[in-house]
Amino acid sequence: MKTGLKGLDPRSKLVLVLCLSTLGVFIQDIGILTAVLCVSIALSTASGSRLFVLIRKFRRILWLFVAIAVIQSIFAPSGRVLVSLGGIKLITAGGLYKGVAMVLRMSIVMVSATIMATSNSREIVQGLVQWKVPYEIAFMVSVAIRFLPLLTDEIKNVVTAVQLRGIELDRIPARQRVKVYSYLIMPVVSGAVIKSRELATTMETRAFRAYPKRTSYMVLTMQRIDYTVIITSLITSILTLILYIKC
Amino acid sequence: MIEPYIELDDVSFAYERCAPVIGGLSLKLYKEQFTAITGPNGSGKTTLGKIMTGILRPQKGCVIICGRDSAGMKLGEIGQRIGYLFQNPGLQIFAPSVQEEISFALGLKGCSKEEIDSRVSRSLRDFDLTNLSDAFPFKLSRGEKQRLAIAAVLVNKPDFLILDEPTTGLDMERRRALSDILLGLKEKGIGMAVISHDRVFIDRLADRTIKMHGGEIVEDRT
Repeated sequence: MKTGLKGLDPRSKLVLVLCLSTLGVFIQDIGILTAVLCVSIALSTASGSRLFVLIRKFRRILWLFVAIAVIQSIFAPSGRVLVSLGGIKLITAGGLYKGVAMVLRMSIVMVSATIMATSNSREIVQGLVQWKVPYEIAFMVSVAIRFLPLLTDEIKNVVTAVQLRGIELDRIPARQRVKVYSYLIMPVVSGAVIKSRELATTMETRAFRAYPKRTSYMVLTMQRIDYTVIITSLITSILTLILYIKC
Repeated sequence: MIEPYIELDDVSFAYERCAPVIGGLSLKLYKEQFTAITGPNGSGKTTLGKIMTGILRPQKGCVIICGRDSAGMKLGEIGQRIGYLFQNPGLQIFAPSVQEEISFALGLKGCSKEEIDSRVSRSLRDFDLTNLSDAFPFKLSRGEKQRLAIAAVLVNKPDFLILDEPTTGLDMERRRALSDILLGLKEKGIGMAVISHDRVFIDRLADRTIKMHGGEIVEDRT
């Protein structure tokens, strides 16, 4: 049996994630954003997510974060100029500050989302249904969650298939490499459309929405720790936002 | 003495957080032989095929391809020597048209337009895909996708072929046509390892049959 944060009801996790993401979106201060990110990492780890495995898996795209910070800095220049090229302000202190804040914000949203990934999609649907969210919408949420890893697999398969045709991606010219990567979009999009059509047909054949009310074999029950987590997260987040706005 | 084209030495493999699928397997595959790999579902045939192609890297042991340890080879480098057909052909199709799917790698490898056109039209003809050359590959039937995937692999003229269930979804006539094409390739000296349950297909083509069970080779008959 799961205990502590690992055994939380998916509804409590959802509240926790919403609170962390809200703080991440509203707060502009780098110091507070860093603190929120640290709290998100601690909570994600405590809830049993595979955060560090995921970071290792996606380490190749971490440079995108640096690129986002730099691009943000270029398009929102303010303050002291740090790097300029032919009179054009490339990196400014204010722009860099905004860029770092943007990266921290994205990290908070992504790290906090890993907390939700510790519940399976069936539990999430049930949590939403017990919150009186219509089953159709709850089911759509679960399908979206379940399909994400499939899309990643689809991309991996195409990259593998391209390489198995004897193409060494790091050796072909950059222009052709862009063309090759454009091939990734086609199977992912068409695969998603085909799968969603098949899923819809399967659901219809199993009489989805045939009756207005559904009974569930799984029924979630909130424990004391769930109420504690929900109340603590809400109070802490509201107080943080009030203090942030006032100061 | 004939050198093996692919050699597996004491190879073990397990998927993440799962029991080993392949355990301490050693095997030599020769270009001169048509090898059939058979066995019940879950015996590790597809995993073995993926290890030989470098899609999966073994946790223990090594895979030698053409005298080189595949651990130091990139997938693209292996792909220049070995052609691999996935069990599910839909996984290796990515271009917006049948014609482009077949010609994809040729253009990137610097082939001339005339050569590309001639190889693609021959491939389309061989696999009865000419009338589908402009079709959207994702809307093809299972059998058509299978033929397209095989055509796209063969057009690159690999030295060795690993085909995972190549006859799935093909009718009798097209199975025979595929057998004829593979026999032709065999005569040209292209090595082949075919994972299949199709007894008739195997009996017609194979010089050697390897039977797997529980991640081990339980029979190796020449």
